[in-house]
Amino acid sequence: MIILKGASVSTGIAIGKAKIIEKEVLQITRKSIKDHEIETEIEKFEKSVSHVLNDIDLLIKDLAQSKDHADILTTHKMILIDPEFTSKIKRSISEELMSMEHAISEHFNEIVDIFNNMKDDFFSQRSSDYEDVAYRLLSHILDKSTDRFGNLDENSVLIMEDISPSSVTKVFAKNICGLCTEKGSKNAHSSIIARSMNLPMLVAVHGLLENVKENDNIIIDGNAGKIVISPDKKTIGKYSKILEQQKKEIHKLKKILNIKAETSDGKKIKLMSNIEIPEEIDQVIKNRSEGIGLFRTEFLFMDADEFPTEEQQYQIYRKITERCAPEPVVIRTIDVGGDKLSKLLNIGHELNPNLGCRGIRISLEYVSVFKTQIKAILRANTKGNVKMMFPMISCVSEVLKAKKIIEECKSELKEQNISFNPAIGIGAMIEIPSAAITSDDIAKECDFLSIGTNDLVQYTLAVDRDNETVSDYYQPSHLSVLRLIKMTIENAHSHNIKVAVCGEMASEKKYIQLLIGLGIDELSVSPGRLLVIKNEILQIDSGKAEELAGKIFSALEGEK
Amino acid sequence: MIRKTIEIVNKLGMHARPATMIVKAATKYRSDFRIIKDDMEINGKSIMGVMTLAAEFGSELDLIADGPDEEYLIKEITELFASKFGEE
Repeated sequence: MIILKGASVSTGIAIGKAKIIEKEVLQITRKSIKDHEIETEIEKFEKSVSHVLNDIDLLIKDLAQSKDHADILTTHKMILIDPEFTSKIKRSISEELMSMEHAISEHFNEIVDIFNNMKDDFFSQRSSDYEDVAYRLLSHILDKSTDRFGNLDENSVLIMEDISPSSVTKVFAKNICGLCTEKGSKNAHSSIIARSMNLPMLVAVHGLLENVKENDNIIIDGNAGKIVISPDKKTIGKYSKILEQQKKEIHKLKKILNIKAETSDGKKIKLMSNIEIPEEIDQVIKNRSEGIGLFRTEFLFMDADEFPTEEQQYQIYRKITERCAPEPVVIRTIDVGGDKLSKLLNIGHELNPNLGCRGIRISLEYVSVFKTQIKAILRANTKGNVKMMFPMISCVSEVLKAKKIIEECKSELKEQNISFNPAIGIGAMIEIPSAAITSDDIAKECDFLSIGTNDLVQYTLAVDRDNETVSDYYQPSHLSVLRLIKMTIENAHSHNIKVAVCGEMASEKKYIQLLIGLGIDELSVSPGRLLVIKNEILQIDSGKAEELAGKIFSALEGEK
Repeated sequence: MIRKTIEIVNKLGMHARPATMIVKAATKYRSDFRIIKDDMEINGKSIMGVMTLAAEFGSELDLIADGPDEEYLIKEITELFASKFGEE
């Protein structure tokens, strides 16, 4: 029995047999293209490169501690943006009519040869960097067309070096029970997708491929972040019981799939999804979410080398909107700190980015960037029910400024004769204490409010929950936070608008009764949590919840 | 145009990490940048080029920069070599 530790992507247990998917040998055919295909081939090439660059950036971000590995990945990035490489591939495509995969593999083969022929061993080893990059790029290009997974079933635990987002979707469709990779990171796109599918998955398991053999018995413990290889009888027994419980739970949850979320006494709670990337939409639909309560748009800007155009944004928003219609899609405008946009904007170094130019402040500082996003959102609103939400609002004047800019966008679109739907709901995130305290003013100018509990807790209690030393101070149920939530809900209701919670508090079972007791109208959670939270709501009596909320307040107030 | 001869003073020579640092630094500038070693001349903004030089400890390189900010480019690259890429 061997136990290895890894980073847990999603909770849950999987017991099955190891299916090792080897790093495949890529089959490159010597394909040529036609004259009229040159332009699209070059475009496809550029897209593939920028896609792989994005993947590498994500990995680097997660590897902050392991500098050596991050250095290697930085070298790989340089290889991909090498001007000699780019121009050579483009030449091969346009002058010799080579397909891009042919051109790429030939180019890298040549380089690998050069290195292998070097006398100095130390330098010739560097060929592995080029082999790695070639593999990464070519497997991305070929991934779309080939099925390299073969026969898998509900007993399969996939063991791989790393996995791409599209492959996660593919193997999920084959009903595998778990997934484990030697490399990878918790926040990679492939992990986000696995999480929204509730697929038990571990990443960054060092020594995985060395220790696992095909068909070994495997247990993935997503709760504890470990994998057990060839477990003994006792361990299997222990985990079988947990798995049994888990299966019962899932079975129970499936029964409530088509029921709308409401309390046992009939109070409707609109239950929606948070999504980070468009690929999550399948799980949103599958789990019968009542729309999207938080569509984060950061993925469009993070690590991008240039700003996404209005058309690119429109196409993405449109697809999601169409899939959800008639249910609403709340699109949140860009919500990152200036530090994350250093490639795009020239925001000086900030000593304290959390209190710096981020969220709506970026949008109001770079109005043309803001306008591009607003216009794309207004256009998508012709395809369904879109709402627009602003992050990091600290007082009503920012909402007023943003609304003025929206009006300008409408006139500009009208002048250009571009079709859009001007009737759009506008909402503010309540995540800064000052916004909660002045939520009566803000509610007057909005069609809805959404409480972002993660930041609200962080800013109210002045605590960074990722900082282990002080993480105990991070208390979502602190009296100050609860008062702010209560105040926000009351102020919204007195202006006849609805309030949602889209922070992590809404995804945790233990807070649901309290939130309902405080009068929350809507909850927005990760697609993988929809049914668990719905199940919780169904068992709550809203009258009792209100009573309980009152008791919690008096208990906390008595604590002084 | 500026031409400058330098010697590799870090023990490990110009392996992947130093090469990455050089290309990164050179790319910040607009000037063309070429490196010559023996009879080999490469684009100093190409990681592939810089790595294939396989420049070991003690070897001599000619740096050639040509453009509006050539002085700054040469200065930064020279300093990088002199700093031994933070290795020792």
